[in-house]
Amino acid sequence: MIVEGAILALPFADIDTDQIIPARFLTTIDTKGLGGDCMSGMPNGRELLARVPDATILVTGANFGCGSSREHAVWALQGQGFCAVVAPSFARIFEENAYNNGVVPVTIDPAQLPRFLAATRARIDVENQTIQRDDEAPIAFALDPVRKAFVLGGGYLRYLAAKIPQVRAWEAACRT
Amino acid sequence: MNRSLFDKVWDAHVVEELPGGNALVFMDLIVAHEITTPQGAIAIEQDFDDKLYAPERIVAMNDHVSPAKDTATAIQAQVVRTWAKRHGLRMHDIGDNGICHVMVPERGYIAPGMTACCGDSHTCTLGAFGAFALGIGTTAQAGAMLAGCLVLQRPKVMRIEVTGTLQAGATAKDLALAVIAATGFRGGTGYVLEYTGTAIRALSMEERMTVCNMAIEAGATTGIIAADATTEAYLAATPEAPRGYPMDAADPDAIYARTITIDGSAVRPTVSWGTNPGETIAIDGVIPANAEPASLAYMGLAAGQAIAGVAIDQAFIGSCTNARIGDLRAAAAIFRGRRVAVPTIVTPGSQAVRRQAEREGLHDIFQDAGALWTHASCGPCLGMSMGVLAPGTRCISSTNRNFPGRMGDGGRVHLASPEVVAASAIAGHICSPATLAARAIDRTLVHA
Repeated sequence: MIVEGAILALPFADIDTDQIIPARFLTTIDTKGLGGDCMSGMPNGRELLARVPDATILVTGANFGCGSSREHAVWALQGQGFCAVVAPSFARIFEENAYNNGVVPVTIDPAQLPRFLAATRARIDVENQTIQRDDEAPIAFALDPVRKAFVLGGGYLRYLAAKIPQVRAWEAACRT
Repeated sequence: MNRSLFDKVWDAHVVEELPGGNALVFMDLIVAHEITTPQGAIAIEQDFDDKLYAPERIVAMNDHVSPAKDTATAIQAQVVRTWAKRHGLRMHDIGDNGICHVMVPERGYIAPGMTACCGDSHTCTLGAFGAFALGIGTTAQAGAMLAGCLVLQRPKVMRIEVTGTLQAGATAKDLALAVIAATGFRGGTGYVLEYTGTAIRALSMEERMTVCNMAIEAGATTGIIAADATTEAYLAATPEAPRGYPMDAADPDAIYARTITIDGSAVRPTVSWGTNPGETIAIDGVIPANAEPASLAYMGLAAGQAIAGVAIDQAFIGSCTNARIGDLRAAAAIFRGRRVAVPTIVTPGSQAVRRQAEREGLHDIFQDAGALWTHASCGPCLGMSMGVLAPGTRCISSTNRNFPGRMGDGGRVHLASPEVVAASAIAGHICSPATLAARAIDRTLVHA
């Protein structure tokens, strides 16, 4: 799986999920239709997104996706066209949600962030866990080995559905 | 055996160790509410024959916007309602609901040693009972409903030892904010916070819930406090609570990845000045010289400025952090015999809290003071239904998040205890209860 495309840089740390998608837009039972409100909780967020309307890769600061558990944050990013987020660190729930929806969370060395923010395009090879900035040499990054499989195929629910007999057996053996 | 309390609860629920430090972890309780459940319930219905692993382990409720405010939220509530009925789930709806993190303990759904999850980040509240309880996304919640488990990266454990005792005027909310100040806003990421120490032991269950509620605001997976006599007394007084549960504690030689010690006696009434819960100061303090410029710009404040005296436009008491009966009693003690200077909203955490408050006459105290007394819900905390802030306006709030836009587009939020919110509502500016009381004495002397 290759994610390749234009970078949108949001050079701020601690972008929380209320900024990515404010609660007033959480009144849906669908995962689609949230892209138009992506980053609408961030001061000037929509204007910042409009700078690179065809961006597929978001580059941003540390602790991205902190705060609320709302998976709508990932759905909004997907609706806006993002397939990957590159940041020095992610909040736990956001990172789990990203993997579960096939959005690639690429954790980079904080020292590399300025160069990623300055780049215009990137190419991410998910299988081989490398990211290439413009025409530079590919850089390796880490992915969670279990969750990587959710991104590459099958998905989280399919993975868990296959575990049901094992869970039942564990429950029968270990719980009264 | 060197194990922390968290280690014991985790180890007892691991179905399978997975690569990369992950595990398949069994969930004893899944709480499902109308904002984050529908997409997952629909996915199971469409792709997995609508089969739930254990319907008896799921509690459903409409809590965030209940009663519905419009057609869209009515549809969300209806999806949860019909899904719960179809599967025979326990369901709390209009007339018998409230904020899930307030409802779950008072209805006896949580007990020491349990695991629990909900598509809501403040599920960490339930760690107050010695449970491993965490917030997750919609897909992870659906996975727990489908297969009884979560895939989790095993967190490290950080011991938060709070020594001494909280002094008069300092509350559990102030302690929760002190913990975030000590770890840093991101400092808890990858950790469970295991709270210990004399100041923690002295807290009531409601106060422990306030402390655990804000573990997520340090980025932590959750917080946890070992059950003790206080926990047992709470559960004994809760008719529907389980009667048999483990009373695990950390081993005396437990190993923690990190330990932070906080002097509980030094905790002061605290207010946030910025745009995350780590940006706080004592109520008589000044905004630090190294304050983040973007936060100051959003909040319309300056470095070096005193936080007390900053004029407010609205006050709110409520949320899963501070809307239990003890919070309302503490606020009422300050409102009694006084009048609010700004629009003030008081939202009980559950229908049971509301009814108890009314039995005690607290609703009369709030309304005599000129505050609005509402039905139980998440209310203005997340700017999703009532009480939304206008751009540029300032609200002092007993809630947990002061992020930009949290309570309304462009709205400015100052986090504080219910006591400080009540005092500020009366003063019309950020004000401590002690300052308010001193002024009342001054006035009495002048008139005498």
